[in-house]
Order: sequence, then C-alpha cells, then structure tokens
Amino acid sequence: MSASAAGPAATGLLCAFAVTRTPPDPAGLAAARGHEEGGPLRVLRADGLCLVVQDVPADLFGEEALTERLNRPEDLERCARAHHRGVEAAAGRGPVVPLPMATLYRGDLTAARAVAARRQVLDTLLDRLRDRTEWAVKVHVAEAEPEAAAATGPGAPARSGDGGRGYLSRVSARRREQQGARGRALAEAEAVDAALRRHAVAATRHRPQSERLTGRRAPQLLNVAYLVEDARRADFTAALARFTAGGTHPAVRVDASGPWIPYSFARWDEDRQADPDQEADPDPQAHPDQEAPS
Amino acid sequence: MTDLDHRYAGPGTEPYGPPSGSLADLLERVLDKGIVIAGDIKIDLLDIELLTIRLRLFIASVDTARKAGIDWWETDPALSSRAARDALAEENARLRERLDALERGAEETTGAVR
Repeated sequence: MSASAAGPAATGLLCAFAVTRTPPDPAGLAAARGHEEGGPLRVLRADGLCLVVQDVPADLFGEEALTERLNRPEDLERCARAHHRGVEAAAGRGPVVPLPMATLYRGDLTAARAVAARRQVLDTLLDRLRDRTEWAVKVHVAEAEPEAAAATGPGAPARSGDGGRGYLSRVSARRREQQGARGRALAEAEAVDAALRRHAVAATRHRPQSERLTGRRAPQLLNVAYLVEDARRADFTAALARFTAGGTHPAVRVDASGPWIPYSFARWDEDRQADPDQEADPDPQAHPDQEAPS
Repeated sequence: MTDLDHRYAGPGTEPYGPPSGSLADLLERVLDKGIVIAGDIKIDLLDIELLTIRLRLFIASVDTARKAGIDWWETDPALSSRAARDALAEENARLRERLDALERGAEETTGAVR
C-alpha cells in the first residue's frame, strides 16, 4: 500500500463512495473534494468495476471517532455533504451505485474484495439504475384545512339549550369533521402517488418525517422516492408540476426535490431478488410498486 | 409551469443538484441502511431521525442567531467546551423553534383572516 510515503497515512482508512463501470473523468475527479480531512478522490479497480474512494485518517474515521463525530450535528452535515460530493464525482459517466455514508475499509485489498464478492448484485443494480434518476416527493396535509374545519365548528353549536349533551355533540361533530378532513387528505395523497407512479419505473416509500423534523405543523402523509427513466422525465416532471402548483388536490400540499442520484434504489432487499428485471417492463401500470401501498 | 422548468431543468447545468433546503432529504438518502456491500468498520448511529432533528434545530439556531447578529458562541471562552456549547445550542434552538412557530402562527392568522 502506498501508505508508507506519508507518516500519518500509515494508519489510514479507505472511505468508499460509489461503484461504477466506467471510471469518472480524471480531471473531474481531481477537482472534486470528498471529506475535507482526507486525500484526493481516486479510483480503485475491483473485478472489472470501479470503486471511487478516498484515503482518510483513522483517528477521525475509526469506529469510535466517527460515531462520536456523526452524533454532532455540524459534523454530520459536513460528512453527509462530503459523501454526496464523492458520489456525484463518481456519477459523471454512466450508472452509479451510491454506497451509504461511512462505508469504510481497512485498505484497498479488503475494499476490492468486498466489491468482488457482491459483483453480481452490483451488476444488477448498475443495469437497473442506468439512465434513471430519483425524485423525492412529500405530501403534507394542506395547512388551511384545520381552519376550514374550525369555521364550520362554531356555526352549529349556537343553540346552547342542552348544556352537556350539546357540548358532547359539538365535540363529536368536530372530531368527525377532522377525521373527514384527514380521510380526504389521505385519499388525495394516494391519488397523487398513483398518478406519479404511472410515469415512474419504481417507487419506494420512506418513513414519513415527523413534524419536529419538517418544522411544519401539518403532518406528512407520504414520503416517496420515484425512480424515473430519463426518457420519461418530462412526463414525470409535468405531472409533478401540476401537483406542486396546488389546486388539483386542495386537501394536500405536494413538495418535490430532484433529480437525485438514485440513492433510494441502490439497495439490495433480499425479497426483491426473485425477479429483479421485472421493472424493465415499459408498462409501469402492470406492477408499479416495490412496496404495496399501505 | 415555468418555475418548474427552473427548478428541474437540471440536465445541462447541474444534473444532480438537490435544492439546498433538503438536508433532511440528503440525510435520509446517504444514511440509508440498504447495504449493498458492507464496510470493514461498522458505524452505529443512534436514531437517524433524532440526528436529523438535532441537525435541523442546530441549523435553525445558527441561522436565526446570525440574522440577529449574535455570535457569542464563537467568541465566549466559557463556551468553548463542546459539551456546554451543544447543550446551550440545543436549548437555544428549541426556544427559537417555539418562537418561530408562534410568529408563524401569528403571521398566518393575520394573513389569512384579514
């Protein structure tokens, strides 16, 4: 290993970002920065595939040190962005399988071995992700909805004749109204999802983010990632634009980001193994899901 | 429609540039647990959602403080210890969160009703 050249590198680790078939453009790779504390990005050949890697110091990227660092918000953000830069640098020339953040090896040898051992899976994924991007879509309950519900509330209970019973019926009316509103929002969220899936090759649902995480008061109903064929991107984004503009589905608010490197689809779920190329079918209607809609 | 073209026109210019506000989206993706090839070193992160929340609060607190011209934590030697700083930053973030939420609420009611 080339570690002997510099003292500190002797205790170095290898951080892996992504797997590709074609090595990225060397100039682009040289211009990109991975983790600030590490060396330049480089390509490690492994069983015909390319692994984009970076030498990083063990005192910062060892198990304990990194765990501690990633539990600090500012370091977590820096690491996440650095990882994303490394993946982007790998993605220039063809399909890429992004690896999760903090995929670390003791050296070139074990990294190359790990890639070789999963060669088939990686090949399948590279085929699957070629010319496709990921789009993140989040559907929230529309913020205005509770106010509308509240507006109908005070109208009914004006007659106060029957005290407690009146109160109870008001409470249950309000609850029915709230449930109705949530039901409508859920139905609309599902409709949006169904419409978008028509233009996507695959979709996968992330756990909806909590209000603490989104910083919104309206609950998040759906947090979906769509895998979209480049050739169909215009259709997908046109459909998405109608939803994000609002109006078509008044009970929900739709937000999107993309295109992303297909992180959410660069995974190997054992249960999907049975028929990995079924998604290649151009008719997404036949089997739009990897996950049953809940 | 045109503003969508702006946001998504990507291909020529910045093919993979996710909008800057989507740090939670980024974390959700780079921390994904669907391991294709395992590393030699196993990093156990606490709760990803919890981490992301802390990160969001941290950013919110830094932004708010910067806007208000407050940068005490960068200069005050008493706060140089990381533990103290983290605890204060978090509490500060929580308070600012609440303030933001209240302000937003107030804005919305005035905006919506009148």
